[in-house]
Amino acid sequence: MTEPASLDAARELLREFPVVDGHNDLPWALREQVRYDLDARDVAQDQHAHLHTDIPRLRAGGVGAQYWSVYVRADLPDAVPATLEQIDCVTRLIARHPRDLHPARTAADMEAARAQGRIASLMGAEGGHSIANSLGVLRGLYGLGVRYMTLTHNDNVDWADSATDEPRAGGLTAFGRAVVREMNREGMLVDLSHVAATTMHDALDASGAPVIFSHSSARAVCDHPRNIPDDVLERLPANGGMAMVTFVPKFVLQAAVDWTAAADDNMRAHGFHHLDTTPEAMKVHRAFEETRPRPLATVATVADHLDHMREVAGVDCLGIGGDYDGTAFTPEGLDDVSGYPRLIAELLDRGWSKADLAKLTWQNAVRVLGAAEDVARDLQATRAASHATIESLDG
Amino acid sequence: MADLQDELHALPEACELPDTAQTAPFAPRPTPGDPLERARALLAAHPVIDGHSGLPWALRDLPWYDLQLGESGVDTDVLRLREGQVGALLWSLHLPERLAGERAVGATLEQLDLVRSVIAAHPEGLRLARSAGQVIDARNCGRVAVVLGPAGAAALDDSLGILRVLHSLGLRVLTLAGASWAGEAGLTRFGEEVVREMNRLGVLADLSGASDATIGRALALSRTPVLCTRSAARSLRAHPDNLSDALLAELGAAKGLCLVPSSPERTGPRVQDVADHVDHVRAIAGPECVGLSGAHDRGAGPDAASGYPQLIAELLARGWPETDVALLTWGNMQRVLRSADFAARAARERRKPSTVRITELDAPDD
Repeated sequence: MTEPASLDAARELLREFPVVDGHNDLPWALREQVRYDLDARDVAQDQHAHLHTDIPRLRAGGVGAQYWSVYVRADLPDAVPATLEQIDCVTRLIARHPRDLHPARTAADMEAARAQGRIASLMGAEGGHSIANSLGVLRGLYGLGVRYMTLTHNDNVDWADSATDEPRAGGLTAFGRAVVREMNREGMLVDLSHVAATTMHDALDASGAPVIFSHSSARAVCDHPRNIPDDVLERLPANGGMAMVTFVPKFVLQAAVDWTAAADDNMRAHGFHHLDTTPEAMKVHRAFEETRPRPLATVATVADHLDHMREVAGVDCLGIGGDYDGTAFTPEGLDDVSGYPRLIAELLDRGWSKADLAKLTWQNAVRVLGAAEDVARDLQATRAASHATIESLDG
Repeated sequence: MADLQDELHALPEACELPDTAQTAPFAPRPTPGDPLERARALLAAHPVIDGHSGLPWALRDLPWYDLQLGESGVDTDVLRLREGQVGALLWSLHLPERLAGERAVGATLEQLDLVRSVIAAHPEGLRLARSAGQVIDARNCGRVAVVLGPAGAAALDDSLGILRVLHSLGLRVLTLAGASWAGEAGLTRFGEEVVREMNRLGVLADLSGASDATIGRALALSRTPVLCTRSAARSLRAHPDNLSDALLAELGAAKGLCLVPSSPERTGPRVQDVADHVDHVRAIAGPECVGLSGAHDRGAGPDAASGYPQLIAELLARGWPETDVALLTWGNMQRVLRSADFAARAARERRKPSTVRITELDAPDD
């Protein structure tokens, strides 16, 4: 059990160095639940019955900056229009809560938001499908405020392999490397969560700017393809990037990984897709859960990942990306966005210094975005925008 | 309030010739010099706001270009814009009709990206302008202002969120044609919501190429003056984009603006033909409701962008008062842009962003 004293110390620390969270799927939840009707889910009020996220709980959680994910599903057509609608949602959300949310496009904006006591609101796109193989669209997303793009989601894109799909490109294609270079030139962070290890290495080779993992944990602690192998974590110090630990139980807890695999097999055995959420499918799922209770991750599970990642990558390369509202289940104690102080308290109990925790929560993420801006300034002075096409590079 | 006052003082300046006030006591002033000289002097004070340039799509396929030093691959470059005394341009983002849905949205983003890089590559010639005030700022700095639009209705993919996103990227004009909500039968309920959201944002409606029913409904509905960015008089030439006298009269009553192109198909090949159309539109819609658009780089007009002084000389020779010429080239478009800015500010106080979806307003079998 966490001592109340360390929880107080955690809150104290977060007042000065609030959490920068790398990934929150509130926009997609608003789309699915209320078709973007922001009145119907007023996040200025308590929404715990529907969402992991609302402003009072962000405040309680000591969140000072949030990358709002403008994720869209890769298996539906029209990814570009859908991504623009997600961006519109975030833009309206920020405009609607000017006292609490501060539009942020730069590291300086993040610091300004912190100084004003508001939550810096940035955007990240989740999956290369959002640019439809077009560098022009990529630059358009940057112009609209998107500051990172995860190269793939759960499926491969034409130019990059996903961690959870059959290998095809063997990492990045030539066009994939052009995408990374163009992201460097714009100042958009390359996000390597969700991608295959081969893609991680290729992107680290191609990128002239720090990369991030917006929501991934350590594969050595829990063997799941969504996590980061040690040989990639080892490369982060030289790259200057960061890995933002995620909380999703089925990625961070081995028992939950095994349980999920068994549950998915059970779904397929009954003739359903494993992600099917229709009533009939959910009935099968509930029956399975009654015979075999779902293992629970805890604050300590996540702290174990951070301890290992600090050993391998060093404290300058760590951050937090909870994936709230993007996951059905959360660890005990980290049930929603108000839980971050309990994680910080756990780390204090494990002997993390306040200086290290300040890097974990705030400083690393601000440094990385600022570094990407510096690289972009340099590249723009020497290189014109690329109009390469996937046909011209990948044939 | 300070803002409002500025605008109020600026309005008469935009609509009247400063030198009419000075010369009025001495009228009628003898008009020395040939019409071309007078045209150039007039255009120096009141340059042309050209309502339709297809340059972005033309540049898309050019591997290399330099608009600053002259570019023979297209009909518009900075030298010819200067020679034609063009002060501002609307840059069309229209796409080929085969592009729809995701591809139209993606191609529109690519067009906007291209425009941004073209403007960035010509900092001494071009400047992006998002408002009437920025058009004036650009001119005061000796730059040709670029106003983004019109884009085709297909660019929205039936989403008001995408309209807002495109507006935030600088889009100021949208053509109400080429979507299910703006067809032959006129605006659907969703189409009307699009127009209301455009008013809230300050995106002007372009009705060139729209059906007569859409034009009528948009004129009645829009709280800001509408544009026809490339329409001439149908009674002189039966092109589908040209406007009948009845519509021209309606447009005039609504204080909208018909921008007459220099296009062989729409107006005829000669300067005199274009002047005939401009004369006719002025007569029917009124001098406050007529403007110019090049239609360059969309099938090449009779003159490149440098041809405006000849056209103005022709109009002066036909006896146009200089005040009317100033309205034609600069004042009317300034008024419309400014009205849109004003109406948007007022509408934003009253209306929240609309999130209604096309399926909620338009029955599927419509």
